[in-house]
Amino acid sequence: MELALKTACAMRLGREGTLDYGSELDAFLRDVEKRAFRIAVMTMRDADEALDVVQEAMIRLVTRYGRRPSEEWRPLFYRILKNRIHDWHRRRIVRARVLSFFGGHDEDEKDPLAAVPGPSEDNPLEDLEANEALAALGSALGALPARQREAFMLRTFEGLDVSETAIAMGCSQGSVKTHHARAVSRLRELLGEEWS
Amino acid sequence: MNSEHDNGESELTRRAKELFDASVANIDVATRSRLVRARARALERGGQSRLVASFLGARPWMVGGGALAAAALVAVLVGQGPELPDARVEVAALGDLELLLAEDEFEMLEELEFYAWLEEQPELEVREPADDGVG
Repeated sequence: MELALKTACAMRLGREGTLDYGSELDAFLRDVEKRAFRIAVMTMRDADEALDVVQEAMIRLVTRYGRRPSEEWRPLFYRILKNRIHDWHRRRIVRARVLSFFGGHDEDEKDPLAAVPGPSEDNPLEDLEANEALAALGSALGALPARQREAFMLRTFEGLDVSETAIAMGCSQGSVKTHHARAVSRLRELLGEEWS
Repeated sequence: MNSEHDNGESELTRRAKELFDASVANIDVATRSRLVRARARALERGGQSRLVASFLGARPWMVGGGALAAAALVAVLVGQGPELPDARVEVAALGDLELLLAEDEFEMLEELEFYAWLEEQPELEVREPADDGVG
């Protein structure tokens, strides 16, 4: 049954001449998936949940916005990802509230260091320093207001320009500039002279 | 001051980006493999949804019938539900339900047109952060 559906999908795609469009989407997702995963991990501090959220965002982009012009995919994808992460945080709060009402606690509470990748075998000392710096950056980002953190991550990590970031964040370009400038300023304070 | 600030900003963002890029490059094989599978699932779902959309497009009465059935189901469930002592509890519960259903609360296609319009408007003056840099 599943195979029949896949075949039907492939035939339909072929007939409509949208096979290239599918491979263009594939190339876009391949390009964006690892960076999106890292951004999600840094925000959520939970690799498994981050992977689920990235997958949901990919499905959402493909099913709802796949036919939009390809230059819109990146800001749309990050907009979806941002909303999914936001929903995840809210669900955690709801769950914690319910558990607290019944006298329990959230067993899924994660170790902040879970967001840091393990050292490779090539140069463990260098990796250790990089991991420490990344952990410090993650903590500092975690201390920022959500909008500042989003602006910084999208502009700095993902390289979105101001207008793309505005679409991804759902705000004006002026707000993006303000949030980003404040994020950088606050990070300099939190991370100290070594980073300036 | 400006120059110093700019240099500091670029050094910080450069270092942050380097660390981030390195962490992306160091993603382990198992996670990469899971990301590949996630992408394949997304593309597969995309193909299926286009097929369904095409199917329903030829049978619009099914969409209306589905909406009617959903409305009837909601009416039955609400009618049979226990009475809530506090209206605020009901509102909160509905909010949580909406959240747990995890449906997008926005229509980005319309918003894109709004942002395109917004971009054409004269830029609002952005207030620079205060000297103490606190956001």
